[in-house]
Amino acid sequence: MSEQPDLHTLTGAYAVDALPDDERALFEAHLAVCAACAQEVHELQATAARLGATSVTAPPPHLRAQVLARIDTVRQERPPATPAESDELAARRASRRRVTTGLGAAAAVLLIAVAGLSAMVIELRAQVGELEVVAAQAEQAGAQVTALTDRLAELEAREQDVIVTTSAVTDVLAAPDARTVLVEHDDVVGRVVASPNRGEAVFVADGWEPAPHEHTYELWLISDDGAVPAGLFDPDERGRATRVLTGDMSAARAVGITIEPEGGSPTPSDDPIMVLELS
Amino acid sequence: MVPEVRRLRSVVDTGPVPPSDEDLLLATARGDQQAFAAFYDRLSPLVHGVVRRVVRDPAQSEEVSQEVFVEIWRTAVRFDADRGTARTWALTMAHRRAIDRVRSEQAARDRTQRVVDSEHARAYDEVSERVEVGFEHDQVRTALGTLTDLQREAVQLAYYQGYTYREVAELLDTPLGTIKTRMRDGLIRLRDALGVSA
Repeated sequence: MSEQPDLHTLTGAYAVDALPDDERALFEAHLAVCAACAQEVHELQATAARLGATSVTAPPPHLRAQVLARIDTVRQERPPATPAESDELAARRASRRRVTTGLGAAAAVLLIAVAGLSAMVIELRAQVGELEVVAAQAEQAGAQVTALTDRLAELEAREQDVIVTTSAVTDVLAAPDARTVLVEHDDVVGRVVASPNRGEAVFVADGWEPAPHEHTYELWLISDDGAVPAGLFDPDERGRATRVLTGDMSAARAVGITIEPEGGSPTPSDDPIMVLELS
Repeated sequence: MVPEVRRLRSVVDTGPVPPSDEDLLLATARGDQQAFAAFYDRLSPLVHGVVRRVVRDPAQSEEVSQEVFVEIWRTAVRFDADRGTARTWALTMAHRRAIDRVRSEQAARDRTQRVVDSEHARAYDEVSERVEVGFEHDQVRTALGTLTDLQREAVQLAYYQGYTYREVAELLDTPLGTIKTRMRDGLIRLRDALGVSA
């Protein structure tokens, strides 16, 4: 078990590219909103570059021609189109953009989920549209339209749900006081990113097996008064899950995870399989 | 637009003062291929030097260096001279790309085997066409000398060997939190010894 009480200490590991990919993404989300860390990172990157500049190795001569031929076929990025904005506004925008592009792995998973759902919604909308035309000609298609319309409504609701979750996750990850607690059993990783100021926390799972048949994983906020339910999660096919914890964070000193019958339980039915100490 | 291009080109061709790395990169951001070629000529031995040290394999290093320069061309507009030099920008990108290559190469490999392999690789390392840059090398070596052993090893294993902080902690048999802190305070001490500003 390990603990990362303070994201601010990761500047050094980040500057020498020593953070694993998922932590790098989390830290970049933090960098977008923490000016002190961003400044320190710039300085430490400049320092790391000095380590790199102690020796040179001339690339083979043919590489030059290859590179120059390649750029002939590569379009350059354009400057951001914000000519009319004040500097402050532009900076704020840029910072928001960085938050979006630097999103944590957790949020990225959700964004992919949104994209997937959105694609399905678009697809179904198209199908409904087509079927409505057919329905005008053949009444028996009506039942099909109804079924598809119901499915579309259900998917649209889920899409909305995922979008709301994604923005909640992003807010917590980007909070200046965000702290990460990580527990690792072999390749099974549980991570809680908590923002005491916001009173919010996100649980991120990686490498988890599916819960046993007709069971689910349940999260608990553990305080001196006991454990209260904080949400259910089921890992996706890659063993990942992201869940915004529900309930009052202020008294919680740990987050626990148990296996419960499908639908969850009001109190834990067994000892937790993982506990993440928050302080 | 035409006068603009001509003006930038003249920055490359003539003038009593040679253009700075930053001038070349800013001209590159505006699509000036000559400026980019000049930037390549100036920075490629440094970029390739970093890539070779981390990636080691010559053929893969070539691929990575090429990716780095295409990326420099593509994203030159993102360079912001207020946040650091063009050289830092290019070397940061080179190191990141080199690390990403090493990680994707090694992802499938067994962890222990990987450490063993790298130990071997380290022994063969000095065979390359590497040339130490005298002044820079001496300065950095002196600055590294001001670090504690743990700070120095943590920074060097991460930067030159491409290990994650977890792997460094394992190799040095030291708690994770300590390694993260040593990487940071080691680099801060280096920064101060070298008089680096962003």
